[in-house]
Amino acid sequence: MRALLKRLAGRIAQGYRSMSIQLVLSLSFTAVALAGVVFLGAGLLLRFSDSTQALTQESTQRVLAQVNMNLDSHLRRMMRVSDTAYYRVIKKTDLTLWSMTAAMDLLYEENRDALVSIAVFNEGGGLEAAVPLSASKPSAIPNESPWFRLALEKMENLHFSTPHIQDLFDDPDNRFRWVVSLSRHVQLTRDGNTESGVLLVDMSFSGVAQVCRDVELPNGGYVYLTDRTGEIIYHPRQQLIYSGLLEENNLTAAGYSDGSHRERFQGQDREVTVKTVGYTGWKLVGVVPAGRLWGEGGSLPLFGISLLLFSAFLMAFLNFRVSAYISDPILRLDQAVKELEAGRDAVEFEEGGCYELRRLSRSIASMVSTMRHLMDDIIQQEAQKRRSELEVLQSQINPHFLYNTLDSVIWMTESGRYQESIQMVTSLARLFRIALSRGKRIIPLADELEHARHYLNIQQIRYKNKFESSVTAGPDTDGLYTLKLTIQPLLENAIYHGITGSEEDGLISVDARREGDDLIIDVSDNGVGMRPEVAATLLSEERPALRTTGSGIGVRNVHQRIRLTFGEPYGLTIFSEPDEGTTIRLRLPALDLEQAEQYQQEGAP
Amino acid sequence: MKHKRNTVIQLAILTVLGGAVILTMLLPQLPSQRGAAPLVEISVILRESDSSLWSSARLGMDQAAGELGAELRVLTLDRTNDGTDQLEVLRRELGQQTDVLVVVPADPEGLARALPDQGTACPVLTMESPLEGAVLAATPDNAALGRALAQAAVDDGAAGTVLLLNASPNSTGVTARAAAAQEVLEAAGAAARVRAVDLSAPSDALRDLLKQPDLTAVMVFEPALTEQAASLKQSLGLDVPLYGVGVTASAAAWLERGVISAAGAWSDFAAGYLAVEGAVNLARGTDCRVEQLPFFIVRGEELYEAEYQKLLFPVG
Repeated sequence: MRALLKRLAGRIAQGYRSMSIQLVLSLSFTAVALAGVVFLGAGLLLRFSDSTQALTQESTQRVLAQVNMNLDSHLRRMMRVSDTAYYRVIKKTDLTLWSMTAAMDLLYEENRDALVSIAVFNEGGGLEAAVPLSASKPSAIPNESPWFRLALEKMENLHFSTPHIQDLFDDPDNRFRWVVSLSRHVQLTRDGNTESGVLLVDMSFSGVAQVCRDVELPNGGYVYLTDRTGEIIYHPRQQLIYSGLLEENNLTAAGYSDGSHRERFQGQDREVTVKTVGYTGWKLVGVVPAGRLWGEGGSLPLFGISLLLFSAFLMAFLNFRVSAYISDPILRLDQAVKELEAGRDAVEFEEGGCYELRRLSRSIASMVSTMRHLMDDIIQQEAQKRRSELEVLQSQINPHFLYNTLDSVIWMTESGRYQESIQMVTSLARLFRIALSRGKRIIPLADELEHARHYLNIQQIRYKNKFESSVTAGPDTDGLYTLKLTIQPLLENAIYHGITGSEEDGLISVDARREGDDLIIDVSDNGVGMRPEVAATLLSEERPALRTTGSGIGVRNVHQRIRLTFGEPYGLTIFSEPDEGTTIRLRLPALDLEQAEQYQQEGAP
Repeated sequence: MKHKRNTVIQLAILTVLGGAVILTMLLPQLPSQRGAAPLVEISVILRESDSSLWSSARLGMDQAAGELGAELRVLTLDRTNDGTDQLEVLRRELGQQTDVLVVVPADPEGLARALPDQGTACPVLTMESPLEGAVLAATPDNAALGRALAQAAVDDGAAGTVLLLNASPNSTGVTARAAAAQEVLEAAGAAARVRAVDLSAPSDALRDLLKQPDLTAVMVFEPALTEQAASLKQSLGLDVPLYGVGVTASAAAWLERGVISAAGAWSDFAAGYLAVEGAVNLARGTDCRVEQLPFFIVRGEELYEAEYQKLLFPVG
């Protein structure tokens, strides 16, 4: 059992984990509400059932009490007739001297609506007096009748019989009437002596039936009357029972004490209420079919089931919508977080739902925003740091270049080549001035080209005019600005890798022009060149950092500086063929003064 | 789209369940649930001109009609056992759109021939005598009743000539009783003298028949003739034992006085009740069981036995 519960709990937990919050909410609400409805409904139903049963019992008992009172009244009237006949007539009559017939006839006439006959018999069963019928049937043997024997056996009592056909006197109309006999022992006076006798008052059965007839109980119930042994005295369907067409649970009911009882008879549950009729010991039995408490044709359970189903479905329907309303902001928040995880930048955090959710949304949005800013800052700082490193490297002068240049100046001075040494020193000075440019990163294109020109001059003197050079700029490049020290590393690369290895006279050209919004600067040489696949790897990030033997800064550094400053669309492109030479193309934004200053400010440390 | 479809389905289910709630709420108010079945009109056509013989049965009929929701019309004939008259009454009732007929056929064979010509689908239930195309209900086994009555006569010593009177020779039920009694008597060595009498004619012929000197017993097989024969026997002061069928109030009195030696009887109340119950079932198209009523032979000294009292004298 415990294992089963554990497994069940495990399944519920597993289902819970795989369910959406909306489903969990709607299922929980529905289950709780349904349990409440069932509990409440069952409670109300039980209460209703109990109340109905109590009402039915109360109503039945009230009706039975009324019937009992009426019946008691009727029987007491008959007993009064009997008393009157005995104490006012029989006791005062000496049979030798007078007849009782006239007095009894008077008594009969007073009560003829309820009486069939009054008769007095002596101890041997002989008829002493009888009204209104007086002719005994030849077959009548009164002293063998139960009412006669009972009267003599229990002299102190009055005895009521069960209904039977009056069989003592001939009826001139050949009527066979149902009577209930009231018999008692009497003392007859004959010639001054007393002797035992029996007084018989046959009351009409219709009088008893009249009291019990037309009594209505709740739910189509009825009332019947039995004697203390269960013999039926009155039943609304009495003749059907007598004819064998109907059965009644009268023998069982006779054993019931006064009050309400539940019984099952012929497959039907019944509420049976019993009340004993005072003197006689008869039992009034009220029967109410219990099944009808639930309505005709079981309509009440049907109504209950359909109402329960409707309520359950309505609750599920509404709960689903309410839970959707509650969980929708959570789901949207979850979706937004998922999108954020997937790397989407423009994620909106909607602030909806209840207070806690709105605060959570705000917190997450704030957190994401802070994180983004931090990340941007870090990225920016990293880029700045990288750019600074590159620029520092860029700005450093290869000491060998400086030593060699100064050696060349000394050597030229010693050899009297003053003009050339002056030119070299002038170019070197100009080279350093432009390289410094008062710390600016963005300088006019003209200065950058002039820087290239001076560099080439120095190198041409050093390499004894091993190569020719040209620096040109298109007219549409006037007034444009560029990133500082981008051409010189390329020229250095062209001299050391292109021209020095070549047997032929070298030619290095720098050509600047404008293409739309871009500035294109081609640095070409006719040196040894390289294979295109080698050229394609020069700018690759994976390739180890190149260090030149010139100013010490590689081509890749220039490429990275341009991209760090202006973005992905810009940078270098290398075109090269072995023995044909190399062209390195710089693509830069065509910056005017205003844009240049803007970049200058952004890049300021 | 899917969400909308689901919502529509859910609303449809809600509507259906709501409808079910309303329907079950109104269910007890519906006429079919309130037990207010349409009233069944039943025409009971007797074969006698006097319905007093059927007073006990009428009590049963009335009780059944009250309980089962039926309206009764009990009709007698101008002349007892007049088959033509009965057919006319039957036609008239069919014309009045009665729902079901309960007939005690005066001439079952003639009625069976004439019924199809009426072109009606009105169900017919008969008592006493079977009728082709109709349901026989609430009737004792006629042959067994005749045999039991004859056996009672034999037991009483009816050995010579026994007069068997039949006032309804066209009634197959009554004739079956007589024929069965004749068989038993003849088997016991008695000479059965079968005679027909006309109940609507003056009683001279019946008087002459009863006064035959060589009779050891007289047997009659229907209540009307039982009453008439007992009455004549008493008025003529005859001693010949009389055996009859049916215990009406008068017959019970003569039975008690010994005018009638024994009578075949059954609960007329039960017969009337079952007949109407069967008729209602026929009209409503429900199961109509064909039941044979139990009968008994009662003598004067047994009349007040509790069980006989209950069967013979309905509580009024």
